[in-house]
Amino acid sequence: MPVQVYSLYIFDRHTECIYSKQWVQPATPASSTLPSTVTDQHRQTNGTELAATAAEQLPPKPRRNKGADDAKLIFGTVFSLRNMVRKLGGDDDAFISFRTAQYKLHYYETPTNLRFALLTEPGALSMRNVLHQIYINLWVEYVVKNPLSPVEHKGGEGVRNEMFELGLDKFIRGLM
Amino acid sequence: MKVFGEIRHEQVKIGGESGKAYSSLRSTDLFSAAAIMGILALIVINKAGGLIYNRTFGDGLNQLGTNDYLVLAGTFHGVHAITTRLSPIKPQQQVGADGIPGRPDPPSGLEVLETENFWLQCFNTLTGTKFLLFTDTLQTNVDIAMRKVYDLYADYVTKNPFYQLENPIRCDTFDRKLNSYIRETNNAR
Repeated sequence: MPVQVYSLYIFDRHTECIYSKQWVQPATPASSTLPSTVTDQHRQTNGTELAATAAEQLPPKPRRNKGADDAKLIFGTVFSLRNMVRKLGGDDDAFISFRTAQYKLHYYETPTNLRFALLTEPGALSMRNVLHQIYINLWVEYVVKNPLSPVEHKGGEGVRNEMFELGLDKFIRGLM
Repeated sequence: MKVFGEIRHEQVKIGGESGKAYSSLRSTDLFSAAAIMGILALIVINKAGGLIYNRTFGDGLNQLGTNDYLVLAGTFHGVHAITTRLSPIKPQQQVGADGIPGRPDPPSGLEVLETENFWLQCFNTLTGTKFLLFTDTLQTNVDIAMRKVYDLYADYVTKNPFYQLENPIRCDTFDRKLNSYIRETNNAR
């Protein structure tokens, strides 16, 4: 059954977001469709204007690094929920997923406090095994076993290698 | 039926002695464990994030102190607000019959939380009161139970002339009706 996957976030044991990837572009508001067609015409007629039009096309007040903000919010959410669940369900309990009307967040945590959060469409079934597969088949194979990768992935260092990225993209696109 | 009753009695005893032994038993012996499970707890949070009602029905969840429940209510209120902002896709622009673009549905916050030991269903009313229903992982028709709880709240809490909105719920009738409804649903399984 195909599943629409929106994004994946990986957090290390220092609570830092060391990897994030989106599979859907946030939809542009309907009003901005017209300028984009104009840009396409520019692109065909004059290549040098490309940079200028792209700069013009930026929204009037761009938010500062929305992706990083989202990662922090997601981490805060899963961290709070995980603590809440462990308080209520006992220390061996684990938080698996939560769902809203817009999306579903799947969560997987390794014993070393590496945390995976996957956002999918709300109707998706449990993706726990998918996150587990990402951990064993991709993370361990291409990040942990990579001799050039550092032990700590400060700023995502060592995670953004070609094999991991390609393997992850192929794996997730296989689900969709 | 008599044997069934005995199993239940024994399980309650084990559950009381040690949470650990109880949870291992629950995973191996689902049928008899289901007899004392079902809806585990109800929490009501007002629109400011304060705890206004808290009742446990089964022993599937850890017992917390009053302070912990207050913290839990506040935390959940905050997390719920964050989850409404995390949607990775833009809401669909809805076009009415007359061609005028309508207002998209406001993003809903957390609705269902799934863990290994329990499920949490959250119902957020239009006025911002949140009903959290904790159930075991096998419970079905939680929507109906939630609906019924909300009906009881509307009938016996908000219509109580002595109840002040947003304050802790202390209504005997509500307690009694809720208890009998939950007992009925939990025993029906």
